[in-house]
Amino acid sequence: MVSLTSYLFISFVLFVAGIAVMIARKNIIAIMLGIELILNSAALNFAAYTRFVNNNLDGHLMSLFIIVIAAAEAAVGLAIVIRFFQIRETIHIDDASQLQA
Amino acid sequence: MEYTISQVAPIVLLPFFAFVINAFIVKHFTKTAVAISCVSILGSFFFATRVFFDFLNTYSSGYYIHKTFTWFDISYGAFPFKLDMGIYIDNMAATMLFMVTGVASLIHIFSTYYMRDDKRYGRFFVYMSLFTSAMLALVLSENLISVFIFWELMGFCSYSLIGFYYEKEGAGNASMKAFMTTRVGDVFFLLGILSVWSVVGSVSFVDIYAAIGAGKFNGLYALGIPLATFAGFSIFMGTIGKSAQFPLQVWLPDAMYGPTPCSALIHAATMVAAGVYLSLRCYPLMEAGHLTMAIAYIGGITAFGAATIALVQTDIKAVLAYSTISQLGYMVLGVGVGSYNAAFMHLITHAVFKACLFLSAGSVIHSLHDHHTHAHVQEMPRMGGLRHKMPLTFIAMLLCTFAIAGIPLFSGFVSKDRILGDALVAATHSKWYWGPAILGFAGAFLTAFYMFRMMFLTFFGEPRDKELYDHTEKETLSWNRNLPLLILALFTLGVFFSGSFTGQGIIKVAGKKYEWFQTLIVKPDTKSFMSYRKQDFQFEPNRDPQQFEMSHYDPDHGLSEDEAHHVHHIHHIGALVSIVIAAAGVFLAFMMYVRRTWNPGFWVSLLSPWYRSLQNKYYFDDLYIKGLIQKVLLPLNNLLAFIDMGLYDRYIIDGQEYVNRVFFTAAKWFDNLVVDTALVDGNGAAIRFFNVILRTIQSGKIQFYFIMIILVLTGYIWNLNI
Repeated sequence: MVSLTSYLFISFVLFVAGIAVMIARKNIIAIMLGIELILNSAALNFAAYTRFVNNNLDGHLMSLFIIVIAAAEAAVGLAIVIRFFQIRETIHIDDASQLQA
Repeated sequence: MEYTISQVAPIVLLPFFAFVINAFIVKHFTKTAVAISCVSILGSFFFATRVFFDFLNTYSSGYYIHKTFTWFDISYGAFPFKLDMGIYIDNMAATMLFMVTGVASLIHIFSTYYMRDDKRYGRFFVYMSLFTSAMLALVLSENLISVFIFWELMGFCSYSLIGFYYEKEGAGNASMKAFMTTRVGDVFFLLGILSVWSVVGSVSFVDIYAAIGAGKFNGLYALGIPLATFAGFSIFMGTIGKSAQFPLQVWLPDAMYGPTPCSALIHAATMVAAGVYLSLRCYPLMEAGHLTMAIAYIGGITAFGAATIALVQTDIKAVLAYSTISQLGYMVLGVGVGSYNAAFMHLITHAVFKACLFLSAGSVIHSLHDHHTHAHVQEMPRMGGLRHKMPLTFIAMLLCTFAIAGIPLFSGFVSKDRILGDALVAATHSKWYWGPAILGFAGAFLTAFYMFRMMFLTFFGEPRDKELYDHTEKETLSWNRNLPLLILALFTLGVFFSGSFTGQGIIKVAGKKYEWFQTLIVKPDTKSFMSYRKQDFQFEPNRDPQQFEMSHYDPDHGLSEDEAHHVHHIHHIGALVSIVIAAAGVFLAFMMYVRRTWNPGFWVSLLSPWYRSLQNKYYFDDLYIKGLIQKVLLPLNNLLAFIDMGLYDRYIIDGQEYVNRVFFTAAKWFDNLVVDTALVDGNGAAIRFFNVILRTIQSGKIQFYFIMIILVLTGYIWNLNI
């Protein structure tokens, strides 16, 4: 029997890995991959808690919802990246500094 | 006549409006200004005539119009401090109004002849209008404060008119001298007003009379002298200054620098008359203060002294100026010896004949034009024989000279003789009055002499300056030159004042004949004023019914039969003496200047020290200028200047500046260091510091933002203390 702690440990590892990728990589697509990892860790958390605590389908529903949002987010994000690449001919994150005051 | 304010106010307001219009609206249109002035004074004369004849016809000695309104009232508790302004007309004021407006009208008309070529023709009329309206307002004044206001206004006008030809240095000095000399009297006058106010609590004439009647002045002292004496003398000092009496007479001869018509106005109707008018108004106060003897002496000395100076003058206007001082002396003498109505009568008669004399002199001077210097000639040694050139002026001036010299049947005789008669009566009662009486008679002799000397030198004999004489055009009758002279000359006849040739009555009251002047002008009976009530200033007729009754003329003035007989007897003697000495004066002048039997040079050499002092006007100018001003006032001035410049400026003002400088340095240091450096710059530095931090955070690098978010969230979760 796999315990809740194991799921949470996996979720934690995914979360930290996502943060690390998001901060450390300079490629925008890699950063978006990091975001996906974080979202997946959150979805995993939902699924684990609903299996071990509530024992109903609420968490699964939230997980599905997160997957949908992640898909949408990835679509929009990739569109922005493509548009950015058309303008700057690069996807290096440090070049996207127009928001600086 | 029903009295409403609209029938009295125009007397003053018409000339005043003429002044306002001329001075501020039409000043550049000379002809218009002159027309406005003349029309307004004639209108004023019309209203004054109505008032005068109304008073004359009702013939009541106690007939007053008295209206007041409150000017300001700042009374506090038991301390009354309230001033009522208003008009007060009694018989004296009504007569005075008639005289002033009449004489002033004629002078205005004459001025259109005399001043017509002057470059400041319009400006002259501006001053004349203001001058006349100030005098009329003074006559109508209800209280001493309002008298004082118009008194000063006249002082200003005389200043302006005397200095009318301000290009001449002498005119400027003379105007300043007139203003400053009268100012000496004015200061005392103001002091007198205040001392009266302190006792009576009001400065209204009526209240003053009532207070004297109630004996409020008894037992009060100021500076150790009785308060009535103090107040009376202070007010009389105003008269001394304004009417050019003995110690302060120096300004009047210098007033000759003004144009001749303005001299006529100053000497006859307005300025100098105001002083005597004031002392007559305050007569009960003088009497209560036992000042009559002092006043009589001042009048006598002035009458005699000025007459002696007039003996040696060669300028025709200077002779007239000294004769004015001398005649004013007679009026003051009349006040002093209790000859109330004769003093006032002399004021009126003198106003008429002196106005005429001055206008005649102006007529003579204006005709005599020196073609070398382009100036008018005033010196009598250059005249002579002018009666052939200007017969009308000669006739007018001769009649006036008869009047002033005291020839019987002329007005001057009637009034002056009465004053001298009363002086004699006073002398029989108290031997101290012999002084003024003798001075008066001696002055009368000298008056006759110097006036006829002037006439003979001007109009008789051979022309002494032939060229000047030949250049003078023969006089033809012109309305604005001769008409005023002849009208005034007509009124020098005694019959208008004395009633008839015998001196008794032309007015019939209840079947008896009375003399109008004696009946109208009586001393204010102070007791009767105690129940007098004031009327509000309103638009209703306010003839006071209690006061309105036919007076019962008493030729003996309430004296006992013996006393009345005595007075009549003395008056007869006085009249005889006057006639004799006037005749002697005329005869002496005739022998000296027409027949030339007696040589004036002999008397001059015989009395040469006296003659020199006369030519120097008894050294009064020297005394005042060298003695008083240079020896006393100048050192005082220097002392005050030293206190001001040496002490006050140097230590107080400069010291304050030093203290200010110290404070200024401290304030500057504080400002620089604390306010600017610490607060203003510190604020900026703080903002810049935070700016650097915040700017660093806002890097625009999205990964940096991730780190920040994570850190913040970590910190938040950390602090949840789960």
